[in-house]
Amino acid sequence: MKKRVLSLLLCGLMTAALLAGCGSKEAPATEAPADTEAESADGSDMEYVKSKGTLVVGITDFEPMDYKDENGEWIGFDADMAKAFAESLGVEAEFVEIDWDNKALELDSKTIDCVWNGMTLTDEVKSAMECSNAYCNNAQIVIVPADKADQYQDTDSLKDLNFAVEAGSAGEAEVNALGLSCTPVKAQSDALLEVASGTSDAAVIDSLMAAAMVGEGTGYADLTYTVQLNSEEYGVGFRKGSDLAAALNDFFAAGYEDGSVAACAETYNIQAALIDM
Amino acid sequence: MEQFLEQFPIVVQSLNVGFLQTLKLFFVTLLGAVPLGLIIAFGSMSRFRPLSCFTKIVVWIIRGTPLMLQLLIIFYFPGLVLGKQIWGGGEASRFLASSVAFIFNYACYFSEIYRGGIQSIPVGQEEAGLVLGMTRKQIFFKVTLLQMIKRIVPPISNEIITLVKDTSLARIIALQEIIWAGQAFMKGSQGISGQIWPLFFTMVYYLIFSGLLTVLLGQLEKKLDYFR
Repeated sequence: MKKRVLSLLLCGLMTAALLAGCGSKEAPATEAPADTEAESADGSDMEYVKSKGTLVVGITDFEPMDYKDENGEWIGFDADMAKAFAESLGVEAEFVEIDWDNKALELDSKTIDCVWNGMTLTDEVKSAMECSNAYCNNAQIVIVPADKADQYQDTDSLKDLNFAVEAGSAGEAEVNALGLSCTPVKAQSDALLEVASGTSDAAVIDSLMAAAMVGEGTGYADLTYTVQLNSEEYGVGFRKGSDLAAALNDFFAAGYEDGSVAACAETYNIQAALIDM
Repeated sequence: MEQFLEQFPIVVQSLNVGFLQTLKLFFVTLLGAVPLGLIIAFGSMSRFRPLSCFTKIVVWIIRGTPLMLQLLIIFYFPGLVLGKQIWGGGEASRFLASSVAFIFNYACYFSEIYRGGIQSIPVGQEEAGLVLGMTRKQIFFKVTLLQMIKRIVPPISNEIITLVKDTSLARIIALQEIIWAGQAFMKGSQGISGQIWPLFFTMVYYLIFSGLLTVLLGQLEKKLDYFR
């Protein structure tokens, strides 16, 4: 009997402890939204970035947009433009390598302030982020082993191939739209690896990336690109509702006027892909 | 072959930087989790039932969910739900969040090993200590502790070796440890792209380090061999 009373008492205590635990957790949670509201009320996203003094740019190692030079400094068309944009805001650009799958999560949790890394403006990206205007052209193209390239020069010939594509990429959408069989992999580089190792017949990746990574003098000398499946555009992503996207559009427009954007594009040999805004 | 010789120093240098990050996470986790585990062990052995129940629930949650999930929650949750990013900026923020997740996770595993070690000491020793008028604190530090340490060396060694490899999980929140550094050369970094051997080569680092740890922990075991 005594034991039963004791266990009942303990159950009561436990529930109380749990409730207290929940209560104390709720308290900061209710405070927090008020906090963010206050933030968006008296300060926009631009104010937030200016107040902390850094524009944190989420990137991956992606030549020729964002990559490291010999001194470990981030360079590339996107990196240089990001530095210039941060300077125009009076803040410092800070580059952080992220896992590309988590880009929207990184933005929303404020661990980065923008995604500026040759990001294709898909519907999915546009719904998750506040995007700038497109600044660069890109295409999805088919990668095949060089010795078989002459058999696959048009869309019809691709029917029997098994494709490797990056999961969630624009390439995957194109392959699915054509009704081709495909294996989603983690990254575009993995898709190339699949073709090089023979585990897939072909891959679909970004043309800007293909130009830098496939063909003679690269790591994938035995591969080549053939059919272009679509054309698409690159943009910069900010947090939903951020006023920085509009600021960047103005910044780009001014850069086109005075030729600084074109000059930067020429440095990295992508002037042909540049979009006139 | 020539290309390989050209790439080798670049890759090794980059892997070294990554491995340094792996080592940092390893030692920080060990330094934090070893004492925290003892505290949690005392919590779960407490005679104050609510405390022991609470501790056991926490240990259950931490041990019962994947470390990868804990990393994602710890790093992204504050900014997403509380609207305030608490980890600071840059790579340091990722290291800080990883450290917290790893310390907590490993402390929970350690606590159960400690508990097993403490409870394996015959109860008669504690009773004898009490009869001699020692306090519980004295009994723990002067009688139980060293015997416990001796008994838990093998299971703790196991966890430590596992920790060496688990550090690679931190790449999920983009901590640039050695696996990340090796993988970078698949996609293209510093002029090298489409190479998978750097990723496979990280194996050498893990093997050497865990080999070193095995020897060191074996020596510790031997040192404690002078009593039963």
